[in-house]
Amino acid sequence: MEITNLDSIPGKAITRHLGLVQGSTVRSKHVGKDIFAGLKNIVGGELKAYTELLNESRAEATERMLAQARAVGANAVVNVRFATSNIASGAAEVMAYGTAVVVQ
Amino acid sequence: MELIIQFGVIAFLLLLGLVFGRAAEQRHFRELKQKELILREVLVFSEKHPPADQEFRSANLVVGSVVIAEDYFKRIAASLKSLVGGRLTAYESLMDRGRREAIIRMKQAAREAGASMIFNVRIETARLSESDSNRQALFAAEFIAYGTALVPATRP
Amino acid sequence: MSWENPPVPHEVNASRESVLAEFLRLLAGLGICVLALAALLYFAGGWLARWVPISTEAAWVGDHVIGLSGLDDAPADAGNAHILAQLQALTARVAANMDLPQGMQVRVHLSSSDVPNAFATLGGHLVVNRGLYRRMPSENALALVIAHELGHIKARDPIAAVGGSASLALLTVALGGDARSLAPGIARLVQLGYSRQAESAADAEALLGLHRLYGHAGGAAAVFEVLDDYGREHREISMPTLLSTHPADARRIQRMRDAAADWNGNPPLVPLPVEEETGARP
Repeated sequence: MEITNLDSIPGKAITRHLGLVQGSTVRSKHVGKDIFAGLKNIVGGELKAYTELLNESRAEATERMLAQARAVGANAVVNVRFATSNIASGAAEVMAYGTAVVVQ
Repeated sequence: MELIIQFGVIAFLLLLGLVFGRAAEQRHFRELKQKELILREVLVFSEKHPPADQEFRSANLVVGSVVIAEDYFKRIAASLKSLVGGRLTAYESLMDRGRREAIIRMKQAAREAGASMIFNVRIETARLSESDSNRQALFAAEFIAYGTALVPATRP
Repeated sequence: MSWENPPVPHEVNASRESVLAEFLRLLAGLGICVLALAALLYFAGGWLARWVPISTEAAWVGDHVIGLSGLDDAPADAGNAHILAQLQALTARVAANMDLPQGMQVRVHLSSSDVPNAFATLGGHLVVNRGLYRRMPSENALALVIAHELGHIKARDPIAAVGGSASLALLTVALGGDARSLAPGIARLVQLGYSRQAESAADAEALLGLHRLYGHAGGAAAVFEVLDDYGREHREISMPTLLSTHPADARRIQRMRDAAADWNGNPPLVPLPVEEETGARP
């Protein structure tokens, strides 16, 4: 399964365009990490727990998008975009969407 | 005594959210399925380049949006789940509903314009602002889907 | 090149697992955690409170008898003054046989309530109800009750209970509750009795003291008989908490009887003086 945010996959011809596929998830870290992140906020710097949270969420959203793409018979997803929005403090929604295609 | 009343109110709100929120969610999912079936003829893509081998009479921006709020049960269930972390399932179905509804409304706008395809579709989510001081307010989010609707030169 | 939109499986984005089942599981888990934390805090608070020096506890409380409302205080008429003097004398005799720590001052109060009850509260105060005094069949029985309460004071049970509930109040505040709603509960707590272990320890102390004072522990079990009768007569009213007779107390009664096994009625029990005011004593 190839994923790109280009309109096409270089060197390959798209034979079928199968439309929009999307994956999303809402996740949170346990409250202990939230508290630690709150403390870390005082001095600034990277909030490792949240970096990790968003990376995990993004991976899961991508996986869910690919699951949709596989279900419609695609072998690549083009023009992929990510979007993140916060839900509650410490919880984030990550979405991935793109167009499922069949390439040769 | 006050404590008992407080707990009673919370339990009542929870039950209300659970019963009515669930019924509304299930109804919404059924409606989404029906509408998606009806609107299947409008094709949706996130690509920028429309098919080169077809002719189009016009291209218009179409937008579909919806604001959806959580119910009280979802709110409590999600805050409880946040203690241990992991997937907030209660919110996932909410986001799914909102996004699909926004796409359906965008497709409806496209069909009214006579379009057969929508290109370069983008989806966005915005949380309706709730100040931190007012934690009682329910979470609500706006889902917006937009793209360029292409009207074919020859009507199919 | 073909352009189409086959139906996509939307289920992948919203897991269909039951939110309700998960919610109930989490709620149960949270409840257990909070209860465990509450128990831990209660015992930690009690343990810490026992380190407060006796003199400091007495200085904090002063002359205020926590758990005894002003209305409850018996009027200082001649009869009451007489009973109070007797109680004080008996308490002094019992206390002399109980190895109280240095500097522990016990002050006795008489309450006009007719419920057969007595309780020890903060600062070494000991409250005896008239109802208890009136119903005790012998001085030995009354001495047992006093010795039992002195046992609580000696073990610092009142301040441990207050320390424990203070930590619980902290927990309530931390969880977003209103600690002020707990304050009346804390005042009542000292009257509500202590844990079963604390009661057993106080019983053991009391029996020891009684043995030293009279040379035998006879008449001790009679206290429970009196309370039992009262409980049967006043089923609708809540039981006096001094020695409430829930099933586990059968063991306590048995212990009292065992302790008095070597006593065969000799020397006889010491009678209490006849109460002048009400006349005959049953």
